[in-house]
Amino acid sequence: MAEFALAARRSFDMTKLRNWTLPAAVIAVFIGFSVVEPRVFSQVNIFNIVTQTSYLAIFAMAQTVVIVARGFDLSLGFTVSLVSVISAMVLVAAGEPSLAVAAGILAGLAVAAVIGATNGVLIAVVGINPLVTTLGVANIVLSLASTVSDGFPVSGFPVQFSEFFAQGSVLGLPVPVVVAGLLFAALSVLMNWTRFGRSLYIIGANPKTAVAAGIRSGPVVAAAYCLCGTLIGFGALMLTARTGSGEPNLGGNLTLESIAAAVVGGVKLSGGEGGVGAALVGALFVTVLSNGMNLTQVDGYLQQICLGAIIIIALVTSRGHSRH
Amino acid sequence: MTSIAVSGVSAGPGRSRREKFIAQGGIVLTFLVIAAVGTYLLEPRFINRLNILNLLRNFSFLVLPALAQMVVMTTGGFDLSVGAMVAISSVLTATVMLYLSSVAPDMPIALSLAALAACLLVGGLVGFVNGFLVAVLKLSPFMVTLATASMITGTTLYYTQGIPIYGVIQQFSDGLGRGQVGGIPIVVMIAVAVTVGLVVLQRQIAFGRHLYAVGSDLRSARLSGVAIVRTTIAAYVIASCLAATTGYLMTARLGSGQGTIGATLALETIAAAVIGGVSLRGGIGRAELVAVAALFLTVTNNAMNLLKVDSRFQTLMLGIILIAALWIERSLSRRK
Amino acid sequence: MLVGQNLSKRFEGAIALEAVDFDLRSGEVHALLGENGAGKSTLINLLVGTFAPSTGSIEIQGRSHASMSPSLASELGVAAVFQEFSLPPDLTVLESLFLGREKRRGFLLDRRGMRQEAEQLLKRLAFDIDLDQQVSHLTRAQKQMVEIAKALRTSPRVLILDEPTASLTDGEAEKLFDAIAQLKRAGVGIVYVSHRMSEIRNLSDRVTVLRGGRKIGTVNTAEVSDEGLIEMMVGRPMGQLFPEISYAPGKVAVQVRGLSTVDGAVREASLVAKAGEVVGLAGLVGCGRSELCRAIFGLTSIKDGTVELFGEAVARPHPHSMLERGLCYFPPDRGAEGLALSRPVRENVTMSSLDLRSLKTGPFLDVLRERRVVREPLQELKLRPLSPESPVSSFSGGNQQKAMLARGLIKDYEVYVFDEPTVGIDVGAKSDVYQLIKRLVERGACVILSTSELPELINLSSRIYVMHQSSVVAELHGDEKSEAAVLSHYFGKPAEERRLQ
Repeated sequence: MAEFALAARRSFDMTKLRNWTLPAAVIAVFIGFSVVEPRVFSQVNIFNIVTQTSYLAIFAMAQTVVIVARGFDLSLGFTVSLVSVISAMVLVAAGEPSLAVAAGILAGLAVAAVIGATNGVLIAVVGINPLVTTLGVANIVLSLASTVSDGFPVSGFPVQFSEFFAQGSVLGLPVPVVVAGLLFAALSVLMNWTRFGRSLYIIGANPKTAVAAGIRSGPVVAAAYCLCGTLIGFGALMLTARTGSGEPNLGGNLTLESIAAAVVGGVKLSGGEGGVGAALVGALFVTVLSNGMNLTQVDGYLQQICLGAIIIIALVTSRGHSRH
Repeated sequence: MTSIAVSGVSAGPGRSRREKFIAQGGIVLTFLVIAAVGTYLLEPRFINRLNILNLLRNFSFLVLPALAQMVVMTTGGFDLSVGAMVAISSVLTATVMLYLSSVAPDMPIALSLAALAACLLVGGLVGFVNGFLVAVLKLSPFMVTLATASMITGTTLYYTQGIPIYGVIQQFSDGLGRGQVGGIPIVVMIAVAVTVGLVVLQRQIAFGRHLYAVGSDLRSARLSGVAIVRTTIAAYVIASCLAATTGYLMTARLGSGQGTIGATLALETIAAAVIGGVSLRGGIGRAELVAVAALFLTVTNNAMNLLKVDSRFQTLMLGIILIAALWIERSLSRRK
Repeated sequence: MLVGQNLSKRFEGAIALEAVDFDLRSGEVHALLGENGAGKSTLINLLVGTFAPSTGSIEIQGRSHASMSPSLASELGVAAVFQEFSLPPDLTVLESLFLGREKRRGFLLDRRGMRQEAEQLLKRLAFDIDLDQQVSHLTRAQKQMVEIAKALRTSPRVLILDEPTASLTDGEAEKLFDAIAQLKRAGVGIVYVSHRMSEIRNLSDRVTVLRGGRKIGTVNTAEVSDEGLIEMMVGRPMGQLFPEISYAPGKVAVQVRGLSTVDGAVREASLVAKAGEVVGLAGLVGCGRSELCRAIFGLTSIKDGTVELFGEAVARPHPHSMLERGLCYFPPDRGAEGLALSRPVRENVTMSSLDLRSLKTGPFLDVLRERRVVREPLQELKLRPLSPESPVSSFSGGNQQKAMLARGLIKDYEVYVFDEPTVGIDVGAKSDVYQLIKRLVERGACVILSTSELPELINLSSRIYVMHQSSVVAELHGDEKSEAAVLSHYFGKPAEERRLQ
């Protein structure tokens, strides 16, 4: 029986070790780039990195919510586009600035929540595979986005929106960072301290066990996708504020990046492990990497190759540690 | 590990596999016929010879990667990198021809073969990497192929910067791109030949059965002595090579190497496979049905073009058709 | 003919087998006896090459092999019939029979040749199975027969049978025993894994007993008594294993009337279970008792019939609502359905009780309070080591089972349904589980126990229902409860006498 105590203790140490390797990697990469290109190590750039990370972090956290339950959302990128376009249109149409901002935000979140709920119902209630569902929904959303916007950016919304949400600051911190921080805090509590969050982890660890234990997976998972959608909505609104217009292509590579950030951070695709903290660190890592590559003038397409490679490396190394 | 009760296995025979095949085939064929007849009624130009030829060519370009997807899905995985493979093969074909034609100017056949060899080589390599990561390192096929797709696309776009590569030799595009034998485009004949080849593989060759076994239940397959790793890697290699061939043939038609094609191919091929009765869990799937499904999708596409339906709406339709097909599959399997 | 020396096998911190010597003579039936979790499956997996031994070697026909593989094993003429079948559900019987060893003509499959050979083989064995039937549509018994035919097809020199009669009827088992006799005469060596005493007595020449991964001994069957074998297997006299339970049947807790499930696994089953008693459910594997339990709990859809809990009819049972009403069900396969292996024990224990006030501070789950709440049940069940934060996967089988059962102690349920509660766990853990059942019953709960372990069934139950082919065929009380009586109903009709040789 001593065998088992030993094994249990060993698995613990591994986790603690792994928890520190990624932050260490972040610092290592940062220093590496600073050596090659001194501009990386400047206050302005660090400020940039932190702000940039906030956006990706929101999306990574959104993915984490569903990945923990053994799903994922391939419609993230296009959802961002649609939310951007529609919220921009509402902002433009609503007239009076403060009303417009409120309306625009509500519209954006509503659209995002509906998309999330659609995913959720199809996956959790009808029972269709998440890959194909979110891929199909992605397509539908994409066509809606380009139809609604005719392919052109939607501009002309009140500057206050961008001023506050993109350039503004609260208590000295940029608003994007504050929003990401608040969402992180709320999600941490939700995932670790509520019945809903606990149910997600159990469902992800073993869906059949969850059912046999009386957990109502259908509604829980559907709600998770709806939540994921809403979070995407937040991120999309922030990005739209930064861009200054509603962009039908805003989503771009975000789907892959958000999943990459989560996976790199340690959220397991097999479900049941990893948290929003991991997503945060993963987002930081990806941002530091792409920031460094941008400043050292690495071609955008090469960065994409790099991203793919990083994902594979993350998958391989995390697999090695999950043997317990 | 003894005496574990098994749930829900009754003595009822249910439908035999043959019956299911006929049922599924019947459904897809019906869809196809309805689509074809419906289109004709709405737009008589459908029957026009030029349109049919065009349609058949498009069918060929869809069925080849769809069959590739089927092979991988049969083993229980997915290949999201088919689109990226098509694009890089197109670029590769044009590039190889461009460089070699200055070295060996008057040997169109040799050049064409060299380009094909290059495509298959890259396809084999990518397929091997995908298969290795999935079978040996046991990573999720979805994530792996998503990552390799991203890497391949990055490479392609980095090299081309979005600009087409010119250098495809005339004889190549005339011969394969526009060439016909007895009124049927060569590309179509190749597609049909490949389909037949896969049908033979699935029914008459041991490896084909092993694919089903691996997808159906990995443990049973292993206990039976099936070489799981080899079979899985072979599946991904075949898929990538088929995708590479598609890119090669498309280049003949396009007349240049395009790095931007195939973007929606992942979804389209999965749709064709699913409609053709391939199970998302693996172990089930017939090449003949996938071909019919691919034809159905092509006809629908063609119809929408003829009826001047906006291309954005077409993408919407594809998404809806896919989800509808899956919904139907789910409700049917539930009732069992 | 086959000699295994000093074989041992380690799996990530757990020792499955240690220093086991085993030998098989040509033309003998050598029984392998042991409790669940004793190491029988590990040993035969080593012989067949599923994985390599951590130490030791295997010698076949005089040649030593340090590492085996399934293909090498089949080349050497070693075939096995496992309990987990090697038949992929989507293939047909014919395809599965030849899977991995297909007959070819050049590159193509020799389909006609395979069909002919299969037909002859099935005729010789007198198994009546449709070659074109899909494996997923076969009954468990049919799958067992196909698996046996598959092993015999390769004309093995060594045949390993793992609980082959677990789901066969009398008649089908007879055909198997005839085949075994044939093989013996042909000089084939047979390893027969079972814990059915009567089969071992009638079939085998020698018996090797394993316990806790070690070999206790190898004896000639004729020279040892049943009790002697049991004692070797269990390590303590039978009497001590099962506790004395005082039953006090009270009000009716569960009443099932004419229940039929949508998938046909249960047909018009009825039973009554009262508070303060243990109702045993017996029957062959696949007879429908597990499905009946699942239907009561709501994991399987009901087509007809009613389920009443304390007199109140439950229209459409669902795990969530049944738990709320006070009925707790423990699934048979803890790895697949009973536990979230990667999560800590604490989470596994509380997963059915996430609405409990005592786990929360305000609206939030409080991990500290959780830890306090789970401590007592885990102590009561004697979880070793008592570390609730470790992932369940790091514990032994017996302790994993305890982690799952602890779930039922967080709240005071009124009905407990145990489905194969002691599968794959060591004797010590079994004893703890039996003690748990005793405590629960004496506290006034109603316990329904579905199990394939006859001693367990007979010693713990106050009443026994026997199921056969989806229906309830008998109810036994008091003195009627004997192994022979129960077994006789397993096959649907009282058997005259089981001829085994």
